Amino acid sequence: MTMNILVCVKQVLDPEAAVAIDRDARWVASGPETAYRMNRYDEFAVEAAVQLQENDTRITVDVITVGPERSDAVLRRAMGMGADHGIHVTTDFEGPLDPRVTAAAVASVARDRSCGLILAGVMSEDAMQGLVGPMAAECLGWPCATSVMEMDVAGDRSAVAVEREMEGGRRDVLSIRLPAVITVQSGINTPRYPSLSNMLRANRQPLDILSADGLGLPTPLQAVTQVRRPEKSRAGLILGGSPEEKAQQLLGMFLERSFLG
Amino acid sequence: MDESIVIIPEHENGTLSATTRDLVAAARHFQADSSRKIRAIVLGDDVESPARQLAGECGLTVTAVHVPHLTTYNGEVYRQVLETVLADCRPDFVLIPHSSRGQDFAPGLAVRLEAACITGVERIGKAEGRWVFSRSIYGGKFEADVSSSTAMTVLTISPGAFPGEDSSPAASGRVEFITLAGSPERTRSLGVRQRPSGGTDLSAARVIVAAGRGVGEPENLELIERFADLFPRSAVAGSRIVCDAGWLDYDCQVGVTGATVSPDLYVACGISGAVQHIGGMRGAGFVVAINTDPGAAIFNSADVGIVEDLTTFIPRLIEVYKDSREI
Repeated sequence: MTMNILVCVKQVLDPEAAVAIDRDARWVASGPETAYRMNRYDEFAVEAAVQLQENDTRITVDVITVGPERSDAVLRRAMGMGADHGIHVTTDFEGPLDPRVTAAAVASVARDRSCGLILAGVMSEDAMQGLVGPMAAECLGWPCATSVMEMDVAGDRSAVAVEREMEGGRRDVLSIRLPAVITVQSGINTPRYPSLSNMLRANRQPLDILSADGLGLPTPLQAVTQVRRPEKSRAGLILGGSPEEKAQQLLGMFLERSFLG
Repeated sequence: MDESIVIIPEHENGTLSATTRDLVAAARHFQADSSRKIRAIVLGDDVESPARQLAGECGLTVTAVHVPHLTTYNGEVYRQVLETVLADCRPDFVLIPHSSRGQDFAPGLAVRLEAACITGVERIGKAEGRWVFSRSIYGGKFEADVSSSTAMTVLTISPGAFPGEDSSPAASGRVEFITLAGSPERTRSLGVRQRPSGGTDLSAARVIVAAGRGVGEPENLELIERFADLFPRSAVAGSRIVCDAGWLDYDCQVGVTGATVSPDLYVACGISGAVQHIGGMRGAGFVVAINTDPGAAIFNSADVGIVEDLTTFIPRLIEVYKDSREI
């Protein structure tokens, strides 16, 4: 049986490169030097889809992103990893999108393309909400499982067996009827690195470009009003001096507190 | 019902989850400037014991929803049943633990109720007359205030972010029992599986030296081990990334989905300090962080920070220590 998998990917500002807050303190600042890349959690979702497709040629993999023009880079990357088509829902907006709006865009595309399975990362590294996947499921009236560590699609495409990660090393074991939405945890697989030739081919392929305005999306339900650096929960005393001096200071603290034997 | 704040505590085998205290403490924030009331909703096949506990120990009004055959969590049934109950009482805020299960059912429930959903809430405050909810973004490097524009808002409350006081209520709350059928049509729960243990028990260690992405390569774990060897009763642990990569067993993972530890000393080596990790080591006595990035979130949760590359700093530290012992 054929099946079309839709994978949600997001472009994020590399959290390690993210250093400043924008002028109005409304979001994290981006500049000409800032590095964007695919949300790492989404790499696991793309890999999971590509592995399913490799085992069965009747499966096709579409990737979708919702974001400004620059975000097509993550579609290319996913296609370099093996996805068949890229769908870019373009927004003319920098900063965080309302998750309910993004979910509605994903649901709308999934409906148009008769998808049998939507895969997404468990959350994005920037906003860390974990909302778009399960919200898209609800928009479609589909079942959903989040934070999945094991996934097995039945041969007849009727269901998917999953294990959800819970606290303390436990797993919820479920069987879900397809179509469904699954969000995957990091560690479910090892995402491949696209080869140069695959990237070159992906860069030549056309993308489906849809304007978010044309999809009749709902109005935002929430807004970020301010961004700041978090308060310290501990002293956070940064030791100064040469590495040797720092080592001596630290050992002094360990001795003082009788941590060393 | 006149309660405008609803909490949905988690329970298992008749016992309330530790996250219940966070829910109650967070819900109390809404009472600061009004006489808003809090209602707790529990659902399941056997809800008598958690419902009595909530009424007795927290003094809350409780709706105990008996759902026949719901012996374990099922997201589909949770959303169905809670939609019915909440559509009836229309609270302003619904508080759910930011746990694996809470994160699974809260977003869909919010969509059904046309409510905004704000996850991982760590603080509740007011700005310009509106409620604002603070949550971590960018792995904890920054914090964002979020506000909603809907009549109802679903919040998932970060475990450990709202330390609750132990106060006995003036009076016991009332428990109302209702029965609602919930039949999963597309989600079949097949039980809970415990991941096989490799035998590591971090809870016995007095000192934990933990490795993060900054370790760079698996070979450098040997450095972390040598560092840990300086301390008696020590153990090596890791962040999620290190365990995902297979460099350390999942038994060694510290964080909300791994182990929650409270050693006397916790040394975070090359760990960025994402909230999921901090949630697992908040209870440590003394925290030292070593990271090359001076902006890393871990320094906000450390008593002492060292901005150095661990691959050069740890060998130096060991050297200095050995030298001092020889004198």
